[in-house]
Amino acid sequence: MPSEATLLYPGGAFLSQTPDRIFTVEDFSSDEKMMISAAEQFSRNEVMTVLDRLDAQEEGLSPALIRKAGELGLCGVDTAEEYGGLGLGKNLAARILEYMSLNGSFSVTYGITSGISQLGLTLFGTQEQKSHYLPLLTSGEWIGAYALSEPNSGSDALSATTRAELRNGKWVLNGTKMWISNAKWADLFVVLAKVDGEAFSAFLVERDHPGVTIAREEHKLGLKGSSTARLVLEDAEIPESNLLHEVGKGHQVAFNALNIGRFKLSSMSLGPARDAMGHASAYANDRRQFGQPIANFGLVQKKFAEMAARFYAAESVIYRTGALIDEAFGLFAGSVEGNRRAAEEFALECSGGKVLSTEAEAFIIVECLQVCGGSGSAEEFPIARHYRDARVSRIYEGTNEINRIFLADRFRKRGVSLAASGDSFISEVTGRAMRIDTKDQVTVGAQSDLLLLAYAEQSARLRSKQVADKYQNAYAIFVNWANAEAARAFQTATGEAVALPAPEQSDIEALAEQVYRSGGPV
Amino acid sequence: MLILVPVKRVIDPYAKVRPLADGSGIDTTGVKFEINPFDEIALEEAVRQKEKNPSVEVVAVSIGASECEEQLRKALAIGADRAILIETTNTYDSPMVAEELRHLIEELQPSVVLMGKQATDDDNNQAGQMLAAKLDWPQATFASKVDLGSSAKVTRETDSGEETLELPFPCLITTDLRLNEPRYIALPGIIKARSKPLDRRPPKVTSTPKTRRVRVESPPPRAAGIKVGSVDELVAALKDRGVLA
Repeated sequence: MPSEATLLYPGGAFLSQTPDRIFTVEDFSSDEKMMISAAEQFSRNEVMTVLDRLDAQEEGLSPALIRKAGELGLCGVDTAEEYGGLGLGKNLAARILEYMSLNGSFSVTYGITSGISQLGLTLFGTQEQKSHYLPLLTSGEWIGAYALSEPNSGSDALSATTRAELRNGKWVLNGTKMWISNAKWADLFVVLAKVDGEAFSAFLVERDHPGVTIAREEHKLGLKGSSTARLVLEDAEIPESNLLHEVGKGHQVAFNALNIGRFKLSSMSLGPARDAMGHASAYANDRRQFGQPIANFGLVQKKFAEMAARFYAAESVIYRTGALIDEAFGLFAGSVEGNRRAAEEFALECSGGKVLSTEAEAFIIVECLQVCGGSGSAEEFPIARHYRDARVSRIYEGTNEINRIFLADRFRKRGVSLAASGDSFISEVTGRAMRIDTKDQVTVGAQSDLLLLAYAEQSARLRSKQVADKYQNAYAIFVNWANAEAARAFQTATGEAVALPAPEQSDIEALAEQVYRSGGPV
Repeated sequence: MLILVPVKRVIDPYAKVRPLADGSGIDTTGVKFEINPFDEIALEEAVRQKEKNPSVEVVAVSIGASECEEQLRKALAIGADRAILIETTNTYDSPMVAEELRHLIEELQPSVVLMGKQATDDDNNQAGQMLAAKLDWPQATFASKVDLGSSAKVTRETDSGEETLELPFPCLITTDLRLNEPRYIALPGIIKARSKPLDRRPPKVTSTPKTRRVRVESPPPRAAGIKVGSVDELVAALKDRGVLA
């Protein structure tokens, strides 16, 4: 029985236990690193050179890039080999995704087709469904999309009104799905609808099925090169065999896709942050004022040091989580029930990583723009596009607010120990704050902040111990920031005062110098 | 037909390098290493020949420390059939590289040696020519087109135009930038490379470099120029400095 197997550190264990070791990006094998740099090369040469054309949604450009990526094996990294994938881990797939995500728009196009559009099939599809659809997606021949949101159903996903009825051996779907990424060029949509208006269920809808139309493109603030439109289903007829998983179990498809989707989105949001830091660091070293590069000035160095620290912590969290997810899949996956369990196990860590990474991305890009001054706000310069593109990271794949409700609530429901290990100031105050059992959103939100800060601080600390010297300053600057954030959250949650611990010794100038030398995160 | 492709591990040609404080070499901390781009072009050409003619076997060789395995694994991922690492921490100059390769070539008996015309770290542009001389093989340098049939036809770009040479096998060809555009490494290729053989062997060369590196330093920073308002001013300024008579 797969359920007999146990994880050494199950989901949520970070609060009560301190692992001896965590996985870090340094632990990827040399082969895996070669794959990651192949993805980076593709991204820099093929994507980052056509940004204006992508933003103009030049006809055929995005599908052609996806096909090219598919030919190189990039569109099915963590999908099984028998379906044209490479059968590799989700953690490696996420790191590859990070480098495929240097541009936000292409990141979405690629991220959806290589990720969330295949995940539901992989986890819940029948043999026939997988054999038919997955090879088309892993090869890049087809592009996939995922359709959950509706005009009146966003965060409250189960309130969806799209209906499905079985008529004459066919599913007939009616309704409108909104904010559908890849809509313009997708060939396959994973659509959530309610059978007879009641039972939430998932369906595999092809673009060419009768009654399927795509509405006009949304005019978005950013991500102009990614397609976003409504999927309109008017008596759309799909084969009976295109029900994905079981009637009434659509929520499992939707939410597990979202768990892993949030994990993947975390790495997607580091890509643009990495690129922006590269541009801002080059600018700061090039731009001279008062007779020297602005990179030499204390307040500019402080910005880069803080960016590097936030990036470092998010990166530590994401790839620690990814290795845990791979471990869970290794133990549990196989049956539909096992797959569901594996995808759910680290839902907390996925949510926490999503909030941390997207907020780190936002912070980094805002600061990069600031470093570049007037040039930062000019469209000729690459930061303005990142600034527009990054905004939605905190909105989609579950708003950061929904994730903040989910985290603490879920933590309690999981029944994991609330006795904090006390391996840090944050762990200790988190343990204390979690004793309050409430539904008050402000309190729950503050508890979630504490949980994700505890996870991030522990991940950053363990990584800095494992990789001698390199991350000492990044960790110190992160923990000083995180402690202050945690103190504020503790006070919000409990109404009690708490004194900050003494700051860790840190060297801002040295960390900024590390950024300048690497031309990006450290 | 066996094609031997020597690949050199070099500092990422796009990385900003800086000399060590004592001037003894380049600071390599945190710097990425790559296959010398000219060698990658040679490898790409060899793999294309193999794709056209399945009887072609491509062997990649590197001389250097154990880290060179990284570049050889990459060569295998690109499409080489097997790889050889001549493992040494000794410093090699071009004559020593040529001599080391000569030993290997006498053993492997390749029909063609395809290699970069130069490496982007030392820019010597010597090893290929020296190797051909040592082997007494015909050579074609700076190839911009290679056609391997019953003989090798090599087009090279010269100052006076294109020149096409015909060479009998065995022969040595060095590659220029315009020969081809190397492919992206496909992920399945990296997985396949895991099961391809990579042999390590000790060096055979016992000589020592005939040249000695005295000092490595950055070029002096350029002084700011001046802006002139018109062509007349420019001509006057150039005359003033003795550039124009």
